[in-house]
Amino acid sequence: MDLYLGVDVGSVTTKLALMDKEKNILASCYLRTSGDPIEALKDGLRYIEKRFPKNGKIKGVGSTGSARHLAGVVVGADIIKNEITAHAIAAITRVPEVRTVFEIGGQDSKLIIIRDGVVEDFAMNTVCAAGTGSFLEHQAVRLNVPIEEFGKLALQAEQAVRIAGRCTVFAESDMIHKQQLGFGKAEIIKGLCEALVRNFINNLATGKTIEDPIVFQGGVAANEGIVQAFRDFFQGKKRIIVPPEHGVMGAWGAAILAMEYAPQKTAFAGFEVVDRQFESRSFTCEDCPNACEIVILKEENDIKALWGSRCGKWTPATMEKKWKEESLKKPLEIEEEESLIKG
Amino acid sequence: MKATFPHLLHLDIALGVLYPNLGVEIIIPPPITQKTIEIGVELAPQNACFPLKVTLANFVEGIELGADTIFMAGGVGPCRFGYYGPIQKIILEDLGYDVNFVLLDHPRYGVRPFIKALQTMAGGRVLSSRVIKVASLAWKVLRLSEDLERERRALRAQVKDPQKLDEIIEGALERLRTVDNEKTFQSIKEETMKGLENLERKETEDLIKVGIVGEIYIAQETKVNFNVEKTLGDLGAYVHNSVSTVEYVLHTLPFTRSREKLEAWKLAKPYLKRFVGGEGIDTVGSAIRYAQEGFDGVVHLYPFTCMPEVVAKSILTSVSKDYDLPILHLAIDEHSGEAGLVTRVEAFVDVLERRKKLKKRKLEVS
Repeated sequence: MDLYLGVDVGSVTTKLALMDKEKNILASCYLRTSGDPIEALKDGLRYIEKRFPKNGKIKGVGSTGSARHLAGVVVGADIIKNEITAHAIAAITRVPEVRTVFEIGGQDSKLIIIRDGVVEDFAMNTVCAAGTGSFLEHQAVRLNVPIEEFGKLALQAEQAVRIAGRCTVFAESDMIHKQQLGFGKAEIIKGLCEALVRNFINNLATGKTIEDPIVFQGGVAANEGIVQAFRDFFQGKKRIIVPPEHGVMGAWGAAILAMEYAPQKTAFAGFEVVDRQFESRSFTCEDCPNACEIVILKEENDIKALWGSRCGKWTPATMEKKWKEESLKKPLEIEEEESLIKG
Repeated sequence: MKATFPHLLHLDIALGVLYPNLGVEIIIPPPITQKTIEIGVELAPQNACFPLKVTLANFVEGIELGADTIFMAGGVGPCRFGYYGPIQKIILEDLGYDVNFVLLDHPRYGVRPFIKALQTMAGGRVLSSRVIKVASLAWKVLRLSEDLERERRALRAQVKDPQKLDEIIEGALERLRTVDNEKTFQSIKEETMKGLENLERKETEDLIKVGIVGEIYIAQETKVNFNVEKTLGDLGAYVHNSVSTVEYVLHTLPFTRSREKLEAWKLAKPYLKRFVGGEGIDTVGSAIRYAQEGFDGVVHLYPFTCMPEVVAKSILTSVSKDYDLPILHLAIDEHSGEAGLVTRVEAFVDVLERRKKLKKRKLEVS
């Protein structure tokens, strides 16, 4: 059985999806990145391996998400694609007649306009986190409500409190103010959901025509309160679809892209990756005032990949050479110092 | 007098050819780096345009290297560029720098100050045959530096080894710095063009074509716009940039006109008749020209809060609809993050590629 693997390593969560030739998801997982993308990726691979069909064979791997390059090197991806393309292709596969995609993740949100099964336009919010999952989570913690219960609680409210949602800091102080005025938790949460939706529309949808069906995906789509707030915003006139696999759409999209790409021989490193030791190191190059932060992905003594060199002087080859020179130089310096002391 | 001036792509190469021959000592500010940007952000008002901040930092870095005079150009119309000089002068004075700020404003603001500033910038010399000769050589150097960049944008996606392409261009630019006569100039030009011609090409079919429009500084200065044109080229796009210092100068001087710009203004007429300052009209007109020339998409680069470009941006929405031309707007300032920008550019290239494939399929069916 030919299978395809998609990995989506985002800022907050890591998603993996295993797909067969008919684009059915056989196994998928949704984990927290917890600041360690390599470890999260390994956990995900362990999970997928346990559910891996006996006669299955990985034919292609795709990676996406903000850590797509890192993930791509670690698992051995055949294709590395941006989140927008990956999310769009998954939405089109799930709902072929889709015309708009809302995607709200941990740190960014996207609006994708699709016409005739092709992405026509997109907008992405990366400057401000006010409309994203991290913000909601932060507020849930503040209100002492588990994030899983958050949406449900919003649905219980009969009316919403109006909260300024333009900026996270203002939203928070406004929320505290409303709490102090005596509003209930449920009303405040409902207000927060509405503020987030307003923020999303104001930031991303200006000048764009939103036509339905709308596919709403990403981690935040699990929040019924937000889904309801979107429905209310459009006064129930637009069809909003939340696919059951909303959380892993990016990973699924990456798998579909890998299948479309159809590599002759996959670059997949195998599930043995989980036992290999990767280490990422970083240093600031001080050769010019640009002060590039160079990130190096190492496996034992091998440099697997290197990022961040703006002028292009640092490549795995030049880096290795530098290390070699340094290791040769070091004992020499010590000797010199010793002779100085003696002298 | 030791003069310094702002960077604008390869302007420093041309001025480096011009000034020593005029007997004016110049100090080329250090290349724009992260440190330059940080200096500018710290010293300039927060709401000022990004180019003001970067050019101000150029002056400061030039002064630290010993400059005592600053050469700066001024702008016309409702764009804030006209205020750059006066504001930068005040900031430098407040910082306690004792420098002579020479501002070359448009002659419409007074012919006498214009001539006086020009005279100071020419080292007090009057127009002699030697000055004209040197100026024309420097002008040619500026032209060639732009031509080389044009080649680089066009070729990056087509050659097998883009690194070699960079080496040839960078090498030629470095050699241009020390040009002092017509003969050497011609030989550098010929050798470089030959080198580019001999670069091994990939077998590319039907590259997507992307045009760049926008504000003169941000759209050109690859050191502040995250080198979007390189990213586009690496992703497999043929890139053309409609913004050029040569055309800008031609269009500003009283006796010359840029044909390219006149054409763009004419094309923009159905959408924008009035001069809105800066490159507002040029942006609209150039985007239309790209659409007519069969480009697959346009990237619009401008400083965040740039008024003329914001006007152009809203007009481009209708241009995009009327000509079925995808346009990616990128506002750049010190807060722009590279990761988000690259993701957007990547997604934009995907959009263009998929659209192109679909169009082809539709043509085949019909």
